[in-house]
Amino acid sequence: MKAKKHNKIWLRPAIQLFFFALIALIAINHTLAEEGGGIAFLSSASLHALCPFGGVVTIYQYATTGTFVQKIHESSFILMILGFILAVLFGPVFCGWVCPLGTVQEWTSKLGKKLFKRRFNRFVPRKVDAVLRYLRYGVLAWVLYMTAVTGRLIFADVDPYFALFNFWSSEVAVAGLVVLGVTLVGSLFVERPWCKYTCPYGAVLGVTNLFRVFKIRRNEPTCIACDKCSNRCPMNIPVSQQLVVRDHQCISCLECTSEAICPVPATVDFVTGGK
Amino acid sequence: MKLKSNLLGAIVLTVLFGGIALTTALNLWTTETAKVPVKFETGEAAGEYNPDDIRGSYAFGDISELFDIPLEYLATAFGLPADVDAAAFQNKELEEIYGALEEAGTEIGNSSVKLFVALYKGLPYEIDDEIYLPAPAVKILKAQGSLSAEQIAYVDAHSVDLGLAEAAPAGVEQAEAAPQPAATEEHVPEAGQVTGQTTFGDLLAWGLAQETIEEILGGPMPASGTLVKDHVSSLGKPFSEARTQLQAALDAAAK
Repeated sequence: MKAKKHNKIWLRPAIQLFFFALIALIAINHTLAEEGGGIAFLSSASLHALCPFGGVVTIYQYATTGTFVQKIHESSFILMILGFILAVLFGPVFCGWVCPLGTVQEWTSKLGKKLFKRRFNRFVPRKVDAVLRYLRYGVLAWVLYMTAVTGRLIFADVDPYFALFNFWSSEVAVAGLVVLGVTLVGSLFVERPWCKYTCPYGAVLGVTNLFRVFKIRRNEPTCIACDKCSNRCPMNIPVSQQLVVRDHQCISCLECTSEAICPVPATVDFVTGGK
Repeated sequence: MKLKSNLLGAIVLTVLFGGIALTTALNLWTTETAKVPVKFETGEAAGEYNPDDIRGSYAFGDISELFDIPLEYLATAFGLPADVDAAAFQNKELEEIYGALEEAGTEIGNSSVKLFVALYKGLPYEIDDEIYLPAPAVKILKAQGSLSAEQIAYVDAHSVDLGLAEAAPAGVEQAEAAPQPAATEEHVPEAGQVTGQTTFGDLLAWGLAQETIEEILGGPMPASGTLVKDHVSSLGKPFSEARTQLQAALDAAAK
């Protein structure tokens, strides 16, 4: 099988940049609108209204009382449903293609790669990393429990996504800014540290990797075992050791596929079927 | 079936923006709560907006229009600096500019605006906590001449000197300087008294049956740690009415 020169997927970073700019503009417009100004044709919705995780944390209250948690609106619920539809079909594609916090971590990591070269993304000992990967389910359980008990948007106080797009606002808690700072500094050493270890929404969507319709599949007969797919994976998934990627951390970025880093055509693909 | 990145990207954009467009067309896409308070359903004030349902996100301009209170009265009452756009100023911003008062236990915030509006318009309002008003607000209210003796005593005892210029707007006579509140003690709600800080867990602990609570709410009770006031507000109902009914049920249960 003739090896090909590896390509770069151009659309994913373009879409990531688009959503980052869109959310940033809406957040700025929200502030301007509160001061009586703003851009008329652009949404001035609050970040809470545009976060699909807001829909997740309000499920319990909505199911038991028919109301939303404070600051959460119908839009969060709708985005949550759209996110689930995409995840059932393609896995956590929201994380890999849309989430602006993931995008910022990737941008910061570019600097980390230049600084640390091959050591980048390999700082955390494998055993420690394996345990930490499940921490985000603990965070998810804590957020859901606390929100259900108090009826308040507890997570907003530590949410780096909210802090990122509201750092100029007094609505941001110091804890949120600290978590954002730690996440960005951590991104210099580890790719997507927030996504890997802490993100409760990633934890929810990650479960769909077990049964998503389209999945990453490696064609073993044509694989040349170069390990480029494993080395490229931002989530450190050993793609070259699996036939079908069902890892709960996969973000469906497609960077491991034959369309991108894999040098052999039709060897690592995003396909339906596969055991 | 194989999926390429370009098609995946197109599907992601289509599902997200198509979903938003569809739900917008179906009138389901809502990103904010309408800034219109509920109205009193019974009593002399039936049909009037209930000040108890004023939210922190309401701007002074909204309140001025909804309750027909001159904007300059609101700005003066709450000591807004001259360079602040009073029409766009949100109630929740009071807690930012008067943060030091919160630490001293004499918070000026959304509850202060609710109380001011209620007293200014002569509308019913249950005072469930210690609510403080800026001294200029007290002057305006007293100048209205419509407060009862009990109300005057309350606002006098809960007047806070903002340390700002207290020039009353045109048409409002100057009243005597209101006294500062006495020692600032932390307010501890009395057991069995329904206030804005009461949770559903408190109600249960005080002996009120869950069935009774749900009957009064007209629906299921949320988690026990939820504030009654928050839940009632989220249902679009005035807290004052629910509070009265819950208090009556508690009093009846205690007998």
